[in-house]
Formats: sequence, C-alpha cells, structure tokens
Amino acid sequence: MRNFEHITPPDLESAVDLLSERGTKSIAGGTDLLPEMKSRLRSPRRLVNLKALEELRYLKHNARKGFQIGALTTLAEIESNELIREKIPILAQAASVAASPQLRNMGTIGGNLCQSVRCWYYRAPEFKCWLKGGDTCYAIEGENKFHAILESSPCCAVHPSDLAPALMALGASVHITGTDEEGTVSLEEFFVRPKASNRQMTILGANELITEVQVPMLDGDSSGIYLKAMDRKVWAFALVSVAVQVSWDKERVKGARIVLGGVAPIPWRVPAAEEIVRDQAITEEIATSASEAALEGAQPLRDNGYKIALAKALVKRALMTLAERAKK
Amino acid sequence: MARVVKTKTEFEGNFFEQYIVIEGDELTPWAADEKLEKVGKCTPRVDGSERVTGDAKYTYDIQLAGMLYGRILRSPYPHARIKSLDTRAAEKLHGVRAVLTHKNIPQIPLRMGQHFLLEPTLRYAGDEVAFIVADDEEIAEDALELIEVDYQELPFVIDPEEASQPSSPQIHLNGNVLNGKPEEYERGDAEKALREADVTIEARFTTQVALHNSLETHGSVCAWEGDSLTVWDSTQHIYGVRAGVAQALGLPLNKVRVIKKYMGGGFGSKNGAGKYTLLAALAAKKVGRPVHMMLTRKEENLAAGNRNNTIQYLRLGAKRDGTLTAIYLRSYAGLGAYSLWGTSPGGPARQLYACPNVKTIQYSVFTNTGPMAAFRAPGYVEGTFSFEQAIDMLAQKLHMDPLELRLKNYIDTNPMSGMPYSTKGLREAYERGAKLIGWRERKSKKITQGTQRRGFGMASQIWGGSGGPPAYALCKLNNDGSATIITGTQDIGTGTKTVLAQIAAEELGFPIERVSVELGDTQDGVYSPLSAGSMTLPSVGPAVRVAAHDAKEQLLSIAAQVLEKPKDQIKLKDGLLHVQGLEKPVELKEVLAMKLQNFMIIGKGARGPNPEKYSVNTFGAQFADVTVDTETGEVLINKIVAVHESGRVINPLTIGSQIEGGVIQGLGFALTEERVLDRHTGLVLNPNLEEYKVPTALDVPEIEHEMIDRADPYANNLGAKGVGEPPIIPTAAAIANAISDAIGVHVTDGPITPDKILKALNKTQIGGNHA
Amino acid sequence: MAKATKTKRASVTVRGPHKMPVHLFVNRQDYELHVEPRRTLLDALRKDLGLTGAKKVCDEGTCGACTVIVDGKPVYSCLTLAIECEEKSIETIEALAQDGKLHALQQAFIEEDAYQCGFCTPGQIMSLKALLDENPNPTLDDVKRAVSGNLCRCGAYPKIFRAGLRAAEILRSKKGA
Ligand SMILES: Cc1cc2nc3c(=O)[nH]c(=O)nc-3n(C[C@H](O)[C@H](O)[C@H](O)COP(=O)(O)OP(=O)(O)OC[C@H]3O[C@@H](n4cnc5c(N)ncnc54)[C@H](O)[C@@H]3O)c2cc1C
Ligand code: FES
Ligand code: FES
Repeated sequence: MRNFEHITPPDLESAVDLLSERGTKSIAGGTDLLPEMKSRLRSPRRLVNLKALEELRYLKHNARKGFQIGALTTLAEIESNELIREKIPILAQAASVAASPQLRNMGTIGGNLCQSVRCWYYRAPEFKCWLKGGDTCYAIEGENKFHAILESSPCCAVHPSDLAPALMALGASVHITGTDEEGTVSLEEFFVRPKASNRQMTILGANELITEVQVPMLDGDSSGIYLKAMDRKVWAFALVSVAVQVSWDKERVKGARIVLGGVAPIPWRVPAAEEIVRDQAITEEIATSASEAALEGAQPLRDNGYKIALAKALVKRALMTLAERAKK
Repeated sequence: MARVVKTKTEFEGNFFEQYIVIEGDELTPWAADEKLEKVGKCTPRVDGSERVTGDAKYTYDIQLAGMLYGRILRSPYPHARIKSLDTRAAEKLHGVRAVLTHKNIPQIPLRMGQHFLLEPTLRYAGDEVAFIVADDEEIAEDALELIEVDYQELPFVIDPEEASQPSSPQIHLNGNVLNGKPEEYERGDAEKALREADVTIEARFTTQVALHNSLETHGSVCAWEGDSLTVWDSTQHIYGVRAGVAQALGLPLNKVRVIKKYMGGGFGSKNGAGKYTLLAALAAKKVGRPVHMMLTRKEENLAAGNRNNTIQYLRLGAKRDGTLTAIYLRSYAGLGAYSLWGTSPGGPARQLYACPNVKTIQYSVFTNTGPMAAFRAPGYVEGTFSFEQAIDMLAQKLHMDPLELRLKNYIDTNPMSGMPYSTKGLREAYERGAKLIGWRERKSKKITQGTQRRGFGMASQIWGGSGGPPAYALCKLNNDGSATIITGTQDIGTGTKTVLAQIAAEELGFPIERVSVELGDTQDGVYSPLSAGSMTLPSVGPAVRVAAHDAKEQLLSIAAQVLEKPKDQIKLKDGLLHVQGLEKPVELKEVLAMKLQNFMIIGKGARGPNPEKYSVNTFGAQFADVTVDTETGEVLINKIVAVHESGRVINPLTIGSQIEGGVIQGLGFALTEERVLDRHTGLVLNPNLEEYKVPTALDVPEIEHEMIDRADPYANNLGAKGVGEPPIIPTAAAIANAISDAIGVHVTDGPITPDKILKALNKTQIGGNHA
Repeated sequence: MAKATKTKRASVTVRGPHKMPVHLFVNRQDYELHVEPRRTLLDALRKDLGLTGAKKVCDEGTCGACTVIVDGKPVYSCLTLAIECEEKSIETIEALAQDGKLHALQQAFIEEDAYQCGFCTPGQIMSLKALLDENPNPTLDDVKRAVSGNLCRCGAYPKIFRAGLRAAEILRSKKGA
C-alpha cells in the first residue's frame, strides 16, 4: 500500500471535517479498506481513524426505540450480545456467518454496510471496470457465476454484506452525520443502485459517516431467520442469502419483510413475495408462490442461472422454518 | 567401496532406468514379524517444539544484516512482447537499490532453452518482466508502479484442446503439443474390443486447474560471500536448486550452498530453482547485499505452478458378467506456458484393473496460462476422478455393485509389465474400507426422498512410491554415546526427520533422544533426491539404516577391543552395551570417552537398487458418505473412510497425518477449489485465498483411516513405501461417486460446486420439481 | 436533514507519512519502533521486532496465519496497523512457553501431531489460546469454530481439533491439581 498520513480525530465533528478534504478516507476495522489499499485499488493520502471515537462504540436497547448500535460496534459484539440474540436473533445469525472469528473481532457494523463489492473484476487492479470509473462491466460478458441476477446493469456485482439483508428485514435505519447535515435514513434509502453519477452502492457522501444503526421495536410476536448458501462451509461470501422477518398473529402472518442477498447490486427486498404471505397461514403452497414471486423478473447471466433455483429454495425454506416454529 | 549398479525408478507415473553409485553393504529387510522397538511406534515429531513455539525458521523468516527485499513486475497480458521499457523513474525512487530487466542481465536459458530468465516475449499473464530490490517491500512495490512498459499484445489461447489445433496461436517454436505428438500407450486392441463388448459406456470429463496454495509461498534469500553463494530456499529439493543455480550462473556446485530447514508446504510445486531464486542471486551480487525474494500470494497463484486442467474422453467396454474388456482414453492436459514434461492422466486407466485391451492417448499442450507443476499425484488425481467414475457408470449399466465390479477385475500382477507386485494390499483395503463405511448395509442408510439425499461412493488408488537410489546418509557416533545422522534430504512437513531418527535409533539400539538428524543443507549434507512423488522415506530411510548399521558394527568392534570381549558377545540396547557375562550393562561413555577420548565413528550408507523382478506400488481405497441438498446444491460430507497399503508403517502418528491431509486436499479438489480465468483476457480472477477456496476447519468431515501395515519383502531394507501422494488420489472420485449415488446423475466436471449440482439436477426428476 | 450542531474544535493528531516513533507493548515488553503509518502489526512484529512466529501468507485477511491476540481477542495482524496498536496488549506465539516450559496447547499440538508443515501452527495456537482463555470447557464445536478463521493447507484439522480439546483437559487438570 502507498503511504499515508494517519489522523486521530478528537471527535466526530472533526472527523467529518477532515473527510471533506480530497484523498481522505475513514478507517474503522480496516478489514475491507486495507486489502483495497494493499492491492492499490485505493490509495488515500490520509486516513482518519474512527476507532479513536469511543463514542461510536455502544449497543443500547430500550422498549421505545428498540436497538441503537454505534457504528464502531464489531460484528463479534453483535453476534454475542445477549439482547440481540434474544430479541432480534436474525441479526446475530447474520453476523455469526459473516467472515471469520478474527474478522468479526475487527470488522465493524458501519464498515460492513459500507464495504466494497467483492466482484473479482472490481478487485483486480488490472481491470478498470465501470464501477471504478471505466466504461465496461467485464462480468456481464465474462465470468459471472457469483454475480447479480437482478438489476445487473450497468454493474452486476452483488452487495457482499450479510448484515445488510438482515438489518433491512428488521426495518433498520442508519444515522448519518456529515459536515453540513445529519439525519436518519432507512436502509432501503441508504442502498442505491449505482449510476454513472454515483458509482457506489450507497448514498453516502465522501465526508459523511454512519454513526449509528437503529433497529426499531418489533411487533409483539415476531420472528426472523437468516439463511446463507455458500460454496464452502464458512469464510465465504453468500452465493445467495435470504433474511425473513415475520410478525405473527397466532399462526397467521401479519406482515413480513423478505430480503435477498447475493442477487442484486444492493440488498434486495421483495415486496411481491411479502404481499403473498400477508394475512396467510404459511403452507408449502404459499411459501412456493412467495418464492416464485421473489424471483419474478430475474434475468440470469451466462453462469449464474442456478441462483434463481437457489434463492427460491432459500425463501421457501426460510418461510417454512418460521411457520414451523410459529406452530410450536 | 563404491559400486555402480543399474536400477529402475518410477517417478510420478514415469519409469526411468539409470546407473547409480552405491556404498556399503545392503541389509536384509526387516522381516514382517521382526521385533522392532522404535519403528512402527507412534512417535511425536522430534522437532515439535520448534514448530509450536514459533522458533522454526522458514525461508520466509530469514533475516540477514543489510538484507534487501525483491519484487517482480509481471505481465498483465497472456501473450505479449515488450516493445519498450523505461525504468528510470523506478530507479530514482528513494530506497530502490537495483532494477533488473532483460536489457541488463545475461540471457540465461531455462528448461533447456524453452525460455529465458527475463526476455521480451511474455507467454502468460504473470510472466516475469522486471525485478526490483529495495530497502523494504513497500518501497519495491511503489517502484513497480513507476516502471513504464509498452506491450504489444499477441493472440493467445487458454484452452488445451483448442491449443492442440495447429491453427491456434503458437506459444513455442515447435508447436503447442509437447514433443510434437501425444503420448500413446496400447496393449491389445482397444477399438476392436469396444466394438465387441456387451456393454459400453462413454463419457467426457473435465478437471479444473487447482492451485497448490502452499501457505509459505515460493521464494529465496540469497547472500554472497566472495564467489560463494548461499541460498535459503523454500524447496523440496535442495540439491535440485543447487544444480539449477550453479548451471544458470555458471558456478561450480561447491560454491553454491542451499539451505532449507523448514518449509511451509510444497505439494510438488517446489522442486527446483525458480526465476525468483536466480533474480535474487543476480541482484544480491550486483548490490553486494543479501536479497529476500518471497512471492506474494497473488504471484504464487499466477506463477508458481498448478495442477493442470484436463479434458478426458473415456470409453469402457465389458462383458455382461462385468469383465472389463476395453479401456480407451484420449486426454488433453494444459501445461501452461512452460514445461518439460506432461502428467499421466492415463495412469490409473492403464494400471488399476486387469484389462487386456487398453489404449491411452495423452496430449500435453502448451497454453498461455501459468505453468503447471507437479501437484501431489499429478495426473493420477485427475485420471482417477474420471476413470473411477466411469467404472461406477459401468457398474450401473451392468446392475452390479461398484465394489463387486472392481473385485471382478482385480489383478495381482502389474498389467503393464506383467511383473508381480511386491505387495498389493488393495483387496484388504476394499474389505476393511467397506466394513468401516458400512458398504454392504448402505442401501438401508441411503436417503432417496426429500431434499436431503444421502449416497455412498468409493474409488481405488494406485501409485508408485518405491523411491530409489541415489540417496546417501552418514551416521556420526560421538564419544558421549549420541549419534548424528547426516543426510541431504528435506523435511517438507511430513515428519521425515522423525522417521529417520526412528530408523537410526532402531538400527543402532539407541534411545531416540540420543539421535539427531541433520538435513536441508547441501554443504553439510550428502546427496538425497527430491522430496516428492512419495519417495523421501523409501529412498533415504534405507540409506540411513545402512549408515547406522555400519556405525554400529564399527562401534561393536571397538567396544570388543576395549572390553577385550568377542564382538558377538556384545549387544547394543537402549544406548547401553550388554556384554555377556557382565551383570550390568555398560554405559557407552565409559567405554568410549574414558578410554578413547576424542574419537568419532563415521558410518556410511547408500540406498540400494530397486528389485528387478517386482513392481513396487502403493494401493488404497476410499469410501465417501455424503448428503446432497437438492434445493441448494450444497454437499455435506458425512464421512470419509481411507484404507491404504504402503508397506511397513514406520510412524503411525505421522502416517495418519499424511492420510488425513491427503483426503482433505482431495475433498477441496472435489468440491471447492478452482482457478478461474477470464475467457476474454486470459487473466486469473481468483489468485487469492478468498475466492480460491481451500477447505476450512468446518469443511472437514469425520475421516476414519487405517493402514494395511505389511512389510514389503522386496521394496527395500525397511519394507516401507511412500505415502505422500496415495491419500489424495481416490478422494475426489469417491466423493463424486457418492454424489451421483445420492442424486442419480454423475457430475463429470470438477469441482462439483452447488451450481453444477443444481444444473445436473435440473435434468432429472429430482430437480425438475423445484426449478 | 438537520444540520449538525457544531461544537468546539479540539485538536487532531496527524502522524506520518514518514517514519515516526510507535510504542508497542508486546509479550509484556515495551518497544519503541520507527515505522511509517502503513506498517502493519504483522510487519512490525516480524521485521522490526524479529518475532517471526506469526506468518505472512495472504496479507489480506484470508488465511489466519498472522493471528495474534490483541487485548484478549484474536485478530489478523496483517490487517491491523501498528500505529493503531499503541496502548494495547499484544500477545504472540513467542510468549506462550514460559521459562522453557511449553504451554498446554503447545504440548498438545506435539502429542497429537497437530501440524504438518507447521506454517499455520502459530496462528492456530493463538486462536485456540484466545478460546481457552475465555472458555476452559470448550466443546468440539467450539474448538472447530475457534479455528474456522485459520486455514491449514496441509489438512491437519482433525488433529488440531483433538489438540484443542486435549489442551483444555491438560489445563483443567493443572488447575485441579
Ligand atoms: C476475507 C473476508 C471475508 C469476509 N466475509 C464476509 C462475509 O461473509 N459477510 C460479510 O458481511 N462481510 C464479510 N467480510 C467483510 C467484513 O465483514 C468487513 O470487511 C467488515 O465488516 C468491514 O468493517 P471494517 O470496520 O473493517 O471496515 P473498514 O475496512 O474500516 O471500512 C470499510 C469501508 O467503509 C468505510 N467506513 C467504515 N466505517 C464507516 C462508517 N462508520 N461510516 C462511513 N463509512 C465507513 C471505510 O471508509 C471503508 O471505505 C469479509 C471480509 C474479508 C476480508
Ligand atoms: S496473513 Fe493475515 S490473514 Fe493471511
Ligand atoms: S500444517 Fe501446513 S498449513 Fe497447517
């Protein structure tokens, strides 16, 4: 990696101020940024060390607001937090199947939501792909087994985060602080399909930081599940993942949020499938049609057609599992 | 007295006849029922504490005063010519000490002139362009960015079958097919037999490029003292590196010292000097400081070798009763840009069963990709994957049990040479393995309904593993009753040091703590062959035994003279002299140090020739029990059973490690590991450990293993054969057969990833319901 | 969105890009190094302190051979900047054996032959050390998970699992004794 200045900001304010200068990047756990710097995909001149901001490392819960998770909270802290395991286990599950134990000790929830895509063309310095400011997405015509089956243009990389689909299924928001503005946006607003004027998967400006992730209180009787298919048992990004959070009225679904990972450039919420299960007791038939609806419009590339069958299977399996549990 | 004898040696499926020099008298092999005290006992590594404390110094860890670091600029194109190259900016960077390019170094031919150390023609993405040494790695990397190269891109080819066509871009002057033609073998008339067979099957198989990913990358540290060069090298063959360096740099052998004490894995890929070695040596000379040149992980995966991909067309013919009558194989293997040899995917087809009509046609083809290197049982892993699946296909068609079909075609003599095997424990391996996996009861455990299908599969293994001469050893007996074994072999992680200590201690009648083993240094050692092809133990072990025996005989004569007793009344046991007529055993020290002061006994030993009338091979069988999720395509391996016969077991503890390790690498090859090339640019997309997926702790199933422990009476004086490659050979095939048993369809392209399973299922009843 | 409320500007600490003093507390010893901000903890340990037990295999968080314990947690030292480790307690494989006596894990690794080439071994042991420090009674599954971020290319896993369990046993029996 190229050399840089290392800056310890005294507070959040100065951190965002510092980020306004060109060539400056924030570093949290560094697990995503440092590999990018080592392969010289990015060579910031200055790094602002967010870990100095102890005020961003907390995990609070109360009955009115639900969970407030400081951006510097590590994946390991989330995975092992008793309250999270009890009240929103879907998030603990998602954290526990991400990366490896050491990476979970290092990586933060803020960094996880802001991490770059793992597309091999993006990660290889030899390709100046569209996402890096070039004109071609090499994967569309190239080796695209791990790529998007939905919204696969102009860039068919998939968002790699395991936490993002789970958080989106929980209806989570992020609090963003910038130099001029701050505010809270839902994850559906936070993640955006990349476009020529914004070649990244979030709305975050260079001088903005996520300071907090908020998970609202869930409806009385609610349960969720996160399923992740991998081509190795651990330490692999999802081929496809699905996060489902259902609120129940006895054995009937009051409302459901179903989000797919690994299928689109951003975590992919599927309202059509949610609609099918609403007000229903989940049967195999309903789960099957929800899974069909979830993949409506999917357009596989040459090598990733299998993701359709896989995603359908996971949606169906997630719904069936939750329904089984609801019966008990 | 030194003697010259002729011997036959097998290496990685190829036979060589050579003359060798041997020393000392050959010993009678230990008998099958010999009462041995050290050999055959679980013995923890004699260098265990170095390994667990971080004290073990690997090549990567060598740090010398004033040491500089090297980095290599590599071709970004699969085929190109350097039009021009400007290194001025890089040279000016603070901390850069030298930049080497084809313009400022001698033209050093490699692989008998197939290519040069640095040259303007680049034949794969990753080929070496320039070399930088600097005060630190980061600075060298900064400098890499400053070298300006103008490349002329050339047409390229990456598929071996396509590359074998004359119309393809030519990589070397004499064409893309190694030696201009395929390697053919025929016995009987396979085509005719196929026409006449009651039952035939035909299938096309492909196997992927697999990357060794040894955790320690390839590399060297080079330092000069006057005109002598010392090379620390992460290698499986210190004398090979010495020869390579000496030849390339025009140095006499005694001026090149190669050292390798510990190595972080090699698996066949580290058998000689690399370009990194020569570049580091040249730069160290130029700058007058030591140079540390270890490849990065990415370079390792581009340039340090791989298991080549294959395309295999197989046809089998049999009688209705299961008698194999015909085997026909045509294979293409992609060598990458450089190689002097090709692997033998036809090995298993030619050797595993009694079949009178066999034809194999093996094309080894150059492509514009990273060069292949031996990778644990090269050819045989790929060949077994296809051939043993084909046998299962045949069994299916014959409605025969796959094990019965294999037993039906069992053979006790080598079908290629007609010679009997020195030992062949395959039948017992089948029996034991079948028992351990519950083969005959498997029907009741199979799951044929629902989304979690369970199936069972098996495959057989044949490999050489005889080892052979030349290999030498010395045994020094010190005057305090301790012994030092001097060899020039290397412990590549398999426990060589430990088994050699056991052998020496056994022969000497010393406790193992009194024996130390020196290896991994060409200057202090005596010649040993490379540690590859399952040949270290059966090559070096017998020489060590001879040397220890020689030393012991000398010691006993000396003791006899000092004690004034006939020699045959003195025995060595536990490091003590047991003398007939004396109540108490005598400490060696008493006899030696006290009476003779400073003296040393030097025993010499050499590996004798291989038997002339026997075929020495290793055998084994593996069984797999798997569950396939038919909705997600994920495979869960419930259990692998591995039973192997490699002659006498010297150390059950370390042999178990070899078996487990082989199986685990085999399952990575079966399920997850694959180098991916971009078809449009020829670049490797996953030269890393993230997307090249080697098995993790959680991918490992229960592995039950057993050895058919049987002293080989003819192989060598230990009765032991190699075990390095055998355990990886049948694993992928056994898993593939189990998957097919579970889902009812064979996946003939490796690795068997979820997408391929889902695709295969799509064509069947099972998948149809879900898609 | 609302405007952030400005508070008083406090001072920022800027270090580098050139070499500067960095203080590390490694294996109960204080060290002062002169390194650039881009120095990883792994390189600092290996090159500046000569502690070569932690290995560099991938340099990007995909192998685990560089695992060391920082403030009680196993982390990848290749993805940790040395400069960010000041005021932290760093433990490496070199500190495990004390007064020439091997740690229970080291003893168990030898007994079980839980390695082949040994290149991954320091990382495996550090991951297990962190586990046993926290959980003296691990299950097989705990042990497997603890090393699930440490690749072993030689495939010593089954024996690594056994060594982990065996070490826990040794430690418990020592406590009991
Ligand atoms: C080998 C490997 C495997 C992995 N596997 C998985 C997996 O299976 N599933 C998964 O979900 N993740 C996986 N990850 C990703 C890992 O979880 C992330 O790297 C980690 O969560 C990122 O956190 P960090 O704090 O280290 O981020 P950093 O590397 O510090 O930062 C990442 C990016 O986010 C920015 N950033 C960090 N914090 C903030 C903030 N608060 N506000 C705004 N921007 C910020 C940084 O500037 C940088 O651009 C893997 C990573 C690796 C290296
Ligand atoms: S070297 Fe740090 S994880 Fe591989
Ligand atoms: S022992 Fe070789 S990598 Fe683990």
